[in-house]
Amino acid sequence: MKTSSVSPNAKYLATQMALTEYLKTQFGTGRKIELDNFEEVIVWAKDPADAKRCVKDFMTDKNIQMDFLSDLTAYDNKDGEDGDKRFVLVYQLFSRTFHTRIRLKCLLDENESALTIVDLFAGANWLEREVYDMFGIDFKGHPNLRRIMMDERFTGHPLRKEYPMKQREPFKDNIRLHLGANEDK
Amino acid sequence: MENQQQDLYNPNVLINIGPNHPATHGTLRVMCRINGEVIEDANCEIGYLHRAIEKLGEEKTYHQWMVYTDRLNYCSALNNNITYAMTVENLMKISPTDRCMYIRVVCMELSRIIDHIVCIAANALDLGAMTVFFLLIHWREEAYTMIESMCGMRLTTTYARIGGMSYDLPDGFAQRLKKFCDEIPKAIDEIEGLLTGNRIWIDRTKNVGVITKEDCAQFSVTGPCARASGIDMDLRRDRPYYIYPELDFDVVVGSGGDVYDRYLVRMEEMRQSVRILKQCNEKMPNGPLWVDDKRVLIPNKLDVYTKMEVLIHHFKIFMEGIDVPKGEAYTCTEGPNGEVGFYIVSRGGPKAWRIRVKSPSFTHFQVFEKTIKGGKIPDAIAHLGSVNIIAGELDR
Amino acid sequence: MGKDGSSFFFTTMLEETAKWAQKNSLWPMTFGTSCCGIEMMSTISSTYDLARFGAEVVRFSPRQADLLIVAGTITTKMAPVLRTIYDQMLEPKWVIAMGACSSSGGIFDTYSVLQGIDEIMPVDVYVPGCPPIPEGLIHAILHLQKQIDKSLERKPAEKPTFEDSQNAMSYRKSVDGVKANFIITPEYVNEQKNLRGEK
Repeated sequence: MKTSSVSPNAKYLATQMALTEYLKTQFGTGRKIELDNFEEVIVWAKDPADAKRCVKDFMTDKNIQMDFLSDLTAYDNKDGEDGDKRFVLVYQLFSRTFHTRIRLKCLLDENESALTIVDLFAGANWLEREVYDMFGIDFKGHPNLRRIMMDERFTGHPLRKEYPMKQREPFKDNIRLHLGANEDK
Repeated sequence: MENQQQDLYNPNVLINIGPNHPATHGTLRVMCRINGEVIEDANCEIGYLHRAIEKLGEEKTYHQWMVYTDRLNYCSALNNNITYAMTVENLMKISPTDRCMYIRVVCMELSRIIDHIVCIAANALDLGAMTVFFLLIHWREEAYTMIESMCGMRLTTTYARIGGMSYDLPDGFAQRLKKFCDEIPKAIDEIEGLLTGNRIWIDRTKNVGVITKEDCAQFSVTGPCARASGIDMDLRRDRPYYIYPELDFDVVVGSGGDVYDRYLVRMEEMRQSVRILKQCNEKMPNGPLWVDDKRVLIPNKLDVYTKMEVLIHHFKIFMEGIDVPKGEAYTCTEGPNGEVGFYIVSRGGPKAWRIRVKSPSFTHFQVFEKTIKGGKIPDAIAHLGSVNIIAGELDR
Repeated sequence: MGKDGSSFFFTTMLEETAKWAQKNSLWPMTFGTSCCGIEMMSTISSTYDLARFGAEVVRFSPRQADLLIVAGTITTKMAPVLRTIYDQMLEPKWVIAMGACSSSGGIFDTYSVLQGIDEIMPVDVYVPGCPPIPEGLIHAILHLQKQIDKSLERKPAEKPTFEDSQNAMSYRKSVDGVKANFIITPEYVNEQKNLRGEK
């Protein structure tokens, strides 16, 4: 077991600033790049296929090396402030070598389906299932897209803005669990 | 078909390590298909404690939602409070005072110690070492007494406020903290003596539940689990926040990724936390606790009861809520379990538009589902205890 | 029974002995779901020892326990599991609802949380607190012991019965295809707001 002592590493700030400039030059064509309230960079992808391409590019680019998927979530854009489509899909990426962060966003319509990134990050499996459960966003290519938090017979997608807070749907029993290929066992 | 020919008796026994089980810490369900004692296929189901905390974020004001942050990782509630307060402060571009930062670091390290205590105690209890459980929980009670003197509550503290802390440190806290820091290393040594060289413990935990480095990167595992697998990643050192650059501590990295390594990493991290606590105790500055910003400053109670304008200001902060500008922020800290993050989208006003909680237990449980396939049931139980799944954080 | 309604000495002594034995050896079945579960763990361990009140063996099997301590939030997904465990326990059995979430839903009045376990099972003692401190749980156990003292012959709980509990957990109640007993829609919420003059 080895230990590594602390080193004052405030140079991640400089790398983060440099990253914004690099992204504007390399990936800025047709995509909006802005900063959030904490001076971290947000990249708006053009459509779901572009989002997946961006994730792949960020992973493979030598100067970015985003090899860690921190978070995959979505939020409801019902008031239209972020664009004219209904949902915004958010990917939160982290680089273990440069310690920088990128937030990648993508606008989605109500019935538009996103592309899954399970082939790039295996950990996106449950994260995408949660987005499907809470918002109803379909992911094309996902091996196992079913509800994860709520019961599978639940109707409605709770985190949408029109779902009332207190509408309960209880069930008398628990559903049988799918176990790989043996779905009827 | 070949499987069934090899084994004359039908191997497809389904066992349900159900939502209610002494070894599952919280409510989670692992459905296994076993062959003898070997788990051939496993499927995990969560959602038995889904309390809609994220949707409540859209309904409650920022201060009201602070209460729910305790209930996420309830073994280390202080850490969640402080991370959430940090996120809202980042949204509003407020930076807390020096004294506030020191107190927050003390709280975070204290909650790291008690979370590791619960993890090791529960892990040992599952494997039969009851003495370890009883000895360690005594130290959790000592920490509880200190936390209770700070904020009045043992477990679900709600101690941090946006812009400061709810109460200042009580008198005599420095001496109590010093006494705690002097005494707990002896307890850690006692537990090490009981477990580290113990033949039974080593046999049960070495090479069990190995999470490889590639799995860690693919499944975004953070915290002690990632460090035990050999990934040198610690947010306190890599993306330092508050006063961590001025503190002297070591980041503990293991090599094997098995249960034994995770146990060793946690024990050593407790020692490093004690080191940090000692330094904070010596360097604690005397100064104002609250940031001097009119938007969030909660005034002194004596002024509230005597002056009119202060009363109205206090009323507006709590009844209407604080006015947070438009924008969004994602802030994460190194929690005892991994990277705890809050992503808040704000459209202006007293209530958030969307609050997302990034919890480490969610990804760790996914790795668990993958790694127990091929192992035995007792190995799965040992593995589950060491990964420290907190159901409140898992299901939110 | 004597002519004036009083019991004979022997049967009274037998009842008293049975009561004494039952109340001083309540073996809990701990159903710890969330934060209250950690406080329950604290109660059972060395500082606030629950074993001195008779809860010597914490049985994780419902068939061997007589006290069910429900500590933590019960969601609609977990409710059938809890009901099954309650049904598997043998008579006589007692239920303690520990904490605010199991008493009444607590701070979570949301789409997935059961508003109190008394929708699906009869409860003997409610312990307020979020979470209640270990002394609170000990107070509840002592209170339960006093309750047992009063009558071993428990009145069978009138509400909720087994059918009530199944109905509470099911939405297929009526035959004409109505989905839920009652669905709160945005129209209903607006109507209520209008009635209260809030809009």
